[in-house]
Amino acid sequence: MNCLEFRREKLADPRRLSPGALAHMGECAACRGFAAEINENEALLAATLDVPVPEGLAERIVLRRKAGTRFSPRLWAMAATVVLTFAFGFQQWKDVSSQDYARLAIEHVMHEPESFTTTRLADPQLFRTVMHNFGGEMQASLGKVRFMKLCPVPEGTGWHIVFETEQGDLATLILIPTKRMKAQSEQATVGGWTALARPGGQGYYAVITQSPETLGKVDELVRQRVRWRG
Amino acid sequence: MSVFRQRQFDQAARAYSADLYRYAYWLARDRFVAEELVQETFARAWKNWDSLEDLAAVKPWLIAILRNEHARLYERKHLDYTDDDPQDLDLPSATQAGAHLELEQLVEALPETYREPLVLQVLGGYECREIAGMLGTTEGAVMTRLTRARQALRAHLSDPAKARVAK
Repeated sequence: MNCLEFRREKLADPRRLSPGALAHMGECAACRGFAAEINENEALLAATLDVPVPEGLAERIVLRRKAGTRFSPRLWAMAATVVLTFAFGFQQWKDVSSQDYARLAIEHVMHEPESFTTTRLADPQLFRTVMHNFGGEMQASLGKVRFMKLCPVPEGTGWHIVFETEQGDLATLILIPTKRMKAQSEQATVGGWTALARPGGQGYYAVITQSPETLGKVDELVRQRVRWRG
Repeated sequence: MSVFRQRQFDQAARAYSADLYRYAYWLARDRFVAEELVQETFARAWKNWDSLEDLAAVKPWLIAILRNEHARLYERKHLDYTDDDPQDLDLPSATQAGAHLELEQLVEALPETYREPLVLQVLGGYECREIAGMLGTTEGAVMTRLTRARQALRAHLSDPAKARVAK
């Protein structure tokens, strides 16, 4: 076996190498290094794919069996909603009118409730770097970051960040790299959520909280502690 | 249905629902749809439980049902197979949103024909031959897709700035 054949085999199924591939790896330091790198990536990949499973899923399946196995239209309705949300939502975001920036940010938060119950990329330095790359220089910490995720938006990807302020308020910050807002700010209230969008960095940002009082405090915090370039 | 069969089904639900959920999540990329897909998969499986002859083959059977449900859901009987060169895959670039790339986004951005065998192998531990059987394709095609998926991820993980992003 030569190096090329070994690498093909390793990439196709890293955990199951043939005796020939194992023998080659024993003799070739470069391929041992390659295998170590692939193994490292594979561990990262396995951790990434291992998404949390909803609690009680198996018991709900068993309960449904006990209750009778009628076919539910829920799935079709849900799939249609998801398709429509993506299609309509993306179009809306693209052709956004002056009132929609804040509302769309709320809708995004409502579609990802796990952002409040999951700890993800809770790294203050990464948060600072993300803000810097988006065009915001943090003069001081906004609080304790709990969740960060890149989300698809029409013109690329935007950041969805949840953080807890020093006062214990929970807030979401959405960074959208798109054309700049014309208005200085836009506010919306939908389904118990309230949001304020402002131009900043590579596009605009929106702060979303569960009460207008908290929104005011967090908006003030962001304005005091983040200096936007451009 | 006998109590024995009911127990078999309940054991299968407890043993495999988590793996099926993860597989469904990476197919649908939506947690609510993923759970419903799993529920529907088991509902259909229960309806046909008597036709299951080999209990050892229950997991691949459930995966096949889930896959069919997903395809029916989006009225896509056939996947749009792609054998693009990994450099031509439209993965998110490091410059988009000035962001640090995350592996999750890279996996999500993989074409379904690359992502699906990758999920089956990494999460399910299946061999290329078994995946080929589930996806109704050849072992060689699965090996090619897995190789290209990993090459694409590797290129971004090792040096995202140099990874080419083609539109």
